[in-house]
Amino acid sequence: MLASYRNDLKPIADLAQSFAARELAGGTGQHDRYPFGEFYDQVLRKAHEVGFLGAILPESLGGLGGSIAALCEILIHICETDASPGGIIFTQALSQNLLLAAGAWNLTQISPAAASAKDLLVAFPVYTNPAQTDSLPIAQKTGSDYNLTGRLELLVLGSLARQAIIPARLGIGPSYSFFLVNLDDQNVEKSEPVFTLGLHACPAVDVTFSRVRARLIGEENTGHQYFEKVSPEMNAAAAAMNAGILRGVYNEAVAYSQNREQGGRPIINWSEIGMMLASILVKADVAAMCVCQSCMELEQKKSGYEIRVSAAALHIAELSCNATSDGIQILGGYGYMKDYGQEKRYRDARMVQALLGAVPFKKLDIIRQATNTSPNNV
Amino acid sequence: MLQNSEVASILSRFPKFEDTWLGLSYAPHMPKHMVKETREVIAIARKFNEEVAKPLALKLDRLTHENPDYLPWELVDEANRWGFYTMWIPKIFGGHGYNLPSMSCFSEEVASACVGIMNVIGVHYLAVTGLTASGNTRLAKKILREVAEGERSGKPCTLALATTEPGAGTDVEEVDLVDKGKVTCQAKRVKGGYMVNGTKVFISMGHVSSLTVLYAYEDTKHPSETTIGFVIKTGTKGFSFGSHENKMGQRVCPASVLIFEDCFIPDDQVLFNSEMVKKITNKPARDISQRYCDYVVSATRPGVCAFGIGVARGAFETALHYASTTCVNGRLLINQEWAQCMLAEMHKNVILGRLAYTEANNANCHRGLYKLLQSKPVYYYLKAMPRFWFDKVISPMLDWEITVRGMGKILFDAAKPQDQRCCSGWASMAKITGTDLGVKNCQMAIEIMGQKGLRHDAGVEKMLRDIKLLQIYEGTNQLNRLNAFKCLIAPQVPQAQVFEE
Repeated sequence: MLASYRNDLKPIADLAQSFAARELAGGTGQHDRYPFGEFYDQVLRKAHEVGFLGAILPESLGGLGGSIAALCEILIHICETDASPGGIIFTQALSQNLLLAAGAWNLTQISPAAASAKDLLVAFPVYTNPAQTDSLPIAQKTGSDYNLTGRLELLVLGSLARQAIIPARLGIGPSYSFFLVNLDDQNVEKSEPVFTLGLHACPAVDVTFSRVRARLIGEENTGHQYFEKVSPEMNAAAAAMNAGILRGVYNEAVAYSQNREQGGRPIINWSEIGMMLASILVKADVAAMCVCQSCMELEQKKSGYEIRVSAAALHIAELSCNATSDGIQILGGYGYMKDYGQEKRYRDARMVQALLGAVPFKKLDIIRQATNTSPNNV
Repeated sequence: MLQNSEVASILSRFPKFEDTWLGLSYAPHMPKHMVKETREVIAIARKFNEEVAKPLALKLDRLTHENPDYLPWELVDEANRWGFYTMWIPKIFGGHGYNLPSMSCFSEEVASACVGIMNVIGVHYLAVTGLTASGNTRLAKKILREVAEGERSGKPCTLALATTEPGAGTDVEEVDLVDKGKVTCQAKRVKGGYMVNGTKVFISMGHVSSLTVLYAYEDTKHPSETTIGFVIKTGTKGFSFGSHENKMGQRVCPASVLIFEDCFIPDDQVLFNSEMVKKITNKPARDISQRYCDYVVSATRPGVCAFGIGVARGAFETALHYASTTCVNGRLLINQEWAQCMLAEMHKNVILGRLAYTEANNANCHRGLYKLLQSKPVYYYLKAMPRFWFDKVISPMLDWEITVRGMGKILFDAAKPQDQRCCSGWASMAKITGTDLGVKNCQMAIEIMGQKGLRHDAGVEKMLRDIKLLQIYEGTNQLNRLNAFKCLIAPQVPQAQVFEE
């Protein structure tokens, strides 16, 4: 997709495509059984081996050293087949980006040649913008470190990672800070994996902290600055995930409608189906273009690029939610069954839409940024 | 101001008054007692929700994910104990005889807690409609009295309806398409009955039903003219179940694969066939198939609308509770204008959908399948007469050949095509409206609730999964749009052709 404009992305595109074909295709239904089926450790291990878990991490820190465009290219191809590993890659990129933005990578003590995926993973509550969450854990300073107390819902990768980035408040008021926490600490209580709408194989847990030792990431009460700093890139990544889902919806819908007959001919030859397919294709192509443009905006960083990338992510998420519904509709009863991919995309699209916070707040945030309005006024 | 003839002439133009203001037309004919009865039905549904549906909805859904082979036997027992499988069966057939439109209100209520649980009850009435709309009072009485006996004995006797085939979904829902479709379920005439071979798929409640209303075709090349309806018992030799489908939602209500291999069905279990139709009317068999199909979908699609609006309401109520109890930046969401507008929009969707199924039911009461039962004389007669009167005096009459033929005449010969078109068109309109609005509300609830909405234990993600099926079954919404066009718009445009693309 992006690789058609940029030759330097071709190798990563080929790698992601072959990974999806080799490791994901054919197994998505089984992977989606989690938490009621086995977790796909093997797939995670291979994603780690090929470097997807450190796609944008500098080479000096053991990553691939790719650009945001490379991350998007990976996510598009992975999510076309199965968005769950895309969720893991997204969460990893967000954690790593935030640590780098705060100049706090060294806190993780992750060696450049991390032996296992668990060593490299850093959990993050990706479905929330901490600024819009009133019930964050409370942090208390104790000497040079801090103690965290409280509860955090849907900590993604919390059941897999050794470390997590936790937003917490140091006092009363909207400001918050990020902390790095060792999830193996005995004062951390993790729930069973939470059963969610989609992205089942990108698991999340609820976590309760009881005076858990934590290390501050960056400076106190600057969490929102780091979050806003990484948001444009992560919005582009979320957009890429939905662009991949859209491509998958279109491919499966076309393939089915060429084979399925109704009224004595393939349903693709009925004009209403043709209209629906066209509508999905329009959405998929627009999404792809929005991702390309977002990556360009992120490289050029012209005034207001953050708003434009955020707008693209919101728009593509809406397209994806609509198109995944139509994708099921074209397959009729079969589309509703887990034997096909469309129902999973319908669920996953809404999970991706919720990345980085609830839609209404993301919209209000855009207008706040565009007009320099105080958050309290919106 | 205007002469009556002028008023009539003006109102006969599109959109015709009688096809449009259906509630207004039906109101003077509606038995007043229906209101009291409907209030009672809604109260029963709410009690059932509190005691059964709400406590079980998420628990059972989760259970079906843990164990995809789960079947809802205990839920069927519970619904049977509450009397739900006979509640809307007319008293002449041994049921409680509640007014038929009240079932939509009941459906909305229960679906607001769990549409899967509602389907465990509702699918039975899809088959009951298939049974009674045939006009075969003899077989309908036999089967429906077994259902009533099941309630008395505490051993549920429920019905499923088998239409969809692996290669034909939309095609078997529409007579204009079925002859071009790939139907394969064949019924071959043999001595004393039929030998049936073929497969049916996506049959809701197939595995847990005692009886199935089955459609097969004598000539699979000309199914519209050779459709045969049967009632077949679970356990009949040659009738088996494949796996049940692994669905995205409504998982508590299984969708089964039904397999028929040299399955002999005797003549006394034939609901209708071309020979029976010929005794009733000279109209072509294809027209009768269309009329039968229209009767069934006219009665059941408003119910699907009610299912959809129930889910829409569930999503609205869940989002309302969330907004009323969640603070963002120190302020309750419910006090933020955008949330108030979204919630108002969701509530509007519920109200609009409710109006749609109410009006479609008005069409059925005034001009369709419910016309007889919901007319004042018949309604009050059925209310007033004691049960033994129906059991001892009326019931034997239902076996008479003259009764079967008479009912067939009323349903297939005397009914006006324009009345059927009106009912079928409104039913499709209601179905599209209720289910599309249901999807909209679930999507809005997910957006309002953010990460909370993604969790199974918050309830709304299940609704989003459940609701999608309603846009597919009982004819996809695309087919329903075409049917609405065919029934309500095309008659005004002589050059319009439907399904002829």
